[in-house]
Amino acid sequence: MLYGYSGHILRVDLESGRIVREKTDPQYMLKVIGGRGLNSMRMYEELDRHVDPLSPENMLLLAVGPLTGTLLSSSAYTTISGKSPLTGILGDSAAGGYFGPELKLAGYDQVIITGRADKPCYLLITNDNVEIRNASHLWGKDIWQTTAAIRKELGDIAVQVAAIGPAGENLVKFATVACNNSRMFGRTGMGCLFGSKNLKAIAVRGKGRLRVADTLKYAKLCNQLDQRILEHPEYDKRNALGSTQLITALNNIGILPTNHFQKGICDYVDKISGETLAKKYKVKNKSCFNCNIHCSRYFITKEAEGEGPEFETLCSYTSRLGNKDLKFALKITSYLNRMGVDSLSSGETMGWAMECIQRGLLSKEDFDGLDLRWGNKKAIEKLLDMIVHRRGIGDAFAEGTRSLAQRFGKGTEKYAFHIKGLDMICGDPRGIKAFGLTYAIASRGGDHLRAEPFFELTQRFDEAERRWGIREIADRLAVKGKAVLVEYTERLALLTDCMTMCKNIGLSMALMHPEFASQLLTAGTGLRFTPERVNDALNNVIEKERLINIDFGIDPSQDILLHRFVHEPLKEGPSKGHVVPIQQMVKEYYKLKGWDERGIPQRKR
Amino acid sequence: MIRVDPSKCSGCVRCEVNCSFFHTGMVGRRSARIRVVKIEEIGIDFPVVCQQCVERYCTKCPEHAIEVGPLGQIIISPTLCVSCGTCETLCPIGAIELYEDIPYVCDLCGGDPRCVKACTLGAIYYEPDAHGQISLRSFKAKTKKMSPGQKRLIFALESSRPLREKWVSARRK
Repeated sequence: MLYGYSGHILRVDLESGRIVREKTDPQYMLKVIGGRGLNSMRMYEELDRHVDPLSPENMLLLAVGPLTGTLLSSSAYTTISGKSPLTGILGDSAAGGYFGPELKLAGYDQVIITGRADKPCYLLITNDNVEIRNASHLWGKDIWQTTAAIRKELGDIAVQVAAIGPAGENLVKFATVACNNSRMFGRTGMGCLFGSKNLKAIAVRGKGRLRVADTLKYAKLCNQLDQRILEHPEYDKRNALGSTQLITALNNIGILPTNHFQKGICDYVDKISGETLAKKYKVKNKSCFNCNIHCSRYFITKEAEGEGPEFETLCSYTSRLGNKDLKFALKITSYLNRMGVDSLSSGETMGWAMECIQRGLLSKEDFDGLDLRWGNKKAIEKLLDMIVHRRGIGDAFAEGTRSLAQRFGKGTEKYAFHIKGLDMICGDPRGIKAFGLTYAIASRGGDHLRAEPFFELTQRFDEAERRWGIREIADRLAVKGKAVLVEYTERLALLTDCMTMCKNIGLSMALMHPEFASQLLTAGTGLRFTPERVNDALNNVIEKERLINIDFGIDPSQDILLHRFVHEPLKEGPSKGHVVPIQQMVKEYYKLKGWDERGIPQRKR
Repeated sequence: MIRVDPSKCSGCVRCEVNCSFFHTGMVGRRSARIRVVKIEEIGIDFPVVCQQCVERYCTKCPEHAIEVGPLGQIIISPTLCVSCGTCETLCPIGAIELYEDIPYVCDLCGGDPRCVKACTLGAIYYEPDAHGQISLRSFKAKTKKMSPGQKRLIFALESSRPLREKWVSARRK
């Protein structure tokens, strides 16, 4: 009898229609835990490195952590992985909501999809019954319509649906998958992967129940975490604003991307802040499965409504593009959620275009006459629509910023802020050095969630001294010790990904650490997840992810930051004068990892 | 009885999770005695639980397995119950549902409801003295022949209508 884990792995080949159910192997899980670890390891073992990401041979994997769907707070995530169509390297994306827990109730820890269906289909998973169903009538529908239509078809509004919108169908390289209408698997183009397989959606109805091994101990541990969350000094703010609090917070330290990272301070921050959003448009809190922070929000405006937005979306469509109109950003949020487009990547393509126009490198004529001035709402809206439907110049934009800048050349590559093909998130690394290092080394490209070294923002100097012997780690502007911090938080971030938990709890609020996780995992699954085993599993997965990326062509020349962040100091505010000496940081990080100067892991065992 | 304030509910289903866990040691939506209806298109989350209604429809159990307890809660005798599903059919709002042949309905946890403890937003609260006050007559005809899930949806939709109107008028002026 397996505890915590749901017990089965589902393999579906859309080409042949073959559906196989395997048993989850506890010994294997001890080495990968679950979630992202499980997906990455499968890819390492089974994926032909040379496949075109859009070919039927590419794998599409969904995995859920061992404790997801149980009493444990904030463990609602699901990870979707595959070779990314956007970056060509390891791709994965996680989202919360209610889909993951439902998949566990249906009996599955992982779903592995290969092949391409000959016509649009959706996958229906109900415990023992798994069907590939026709989705021709859903093709062309947006995510909200698709979700509603499937629920109606099945006569049950409690069915959980992960679906793509028109962007995924049209193979926009940064298309998303969404569950619960607004929970986005946003990054690395997993929606495009769905589209390439003619897979419109996955619908899940779970009829089972989940057991844990040591019920009393487990309940006690979960209660402890609940209490720590409630007593956390940031609880009230997180509950009221969620991640949108970062607009003000980042502006206060001078790193809020404004006009495409040309400035770190935004003069109209009060117009677009999380506080203003809460005051003017929020109607209530929303939440993922079994979370007691309830950090998400439901908003209603004259033109739009929906759940969200999170900070990255809000910033991407306000200050990053020079837009002062919060209501417009909310409208775009709804649009992106319906169409299934990643806000960061789509926003970066536009930010790049706007900066190229500003600098006179390109002109209106290059963009089908679109007037891409900072904050031009009409142009943003029009261009988004062109991207989703791959019309006109939108077709080039739909390939992502890296490819777009390569196409135009003329020095515009310098302003394409992607790392390894993945567009950078909203947080100027010049004022948060450990984050800078994270972007550079993250195994899915320019992203912070691979390590989320939030500790550098805390100014808890004594704690830094005690834990690592380096006081500067608690100083965001310092360089010293940041590789040490990232090396540690990278493992922690992977741990939360393997347990498919929320990074807010694990990292930003610092409520999860390997020892506590080991207790939870042991009480939950009944397997002996000692702290050493947990750590071994994490190190193993990080190494395998690096190796798979090396096979995909990653080398130290891509573990970098863009020119601006290394050579052009911020001109004003509390991060004034700072750049990121990234080369030196990456070198130190390799060393700590036991990788050689080419960034290749050296086998010790 | 357990009262619900949908304006505060985030839909986190902690009430379901804790209900199921503390009654059965396992977690699964279908074995929870309180069920959150999530109407995502309009942002409504609404926990549906036994209203301890005036009519007490479920007590017309053919096996006489159902009685009303001192707290106003429904008590089902596991020895008399034959899992016929009549109570599920009789309840107009889907607050009783059979799962693996056992009818699940709120028992108020003996006067200390776990769902109330689990809710950190104050969306669910317990009023010990309030029972037998709410009439579900208007839902009886409306939800005839529906599945418990559909009944809960109708109940949630109707009960949250004023809230939805309030939101729209406040935010769309």
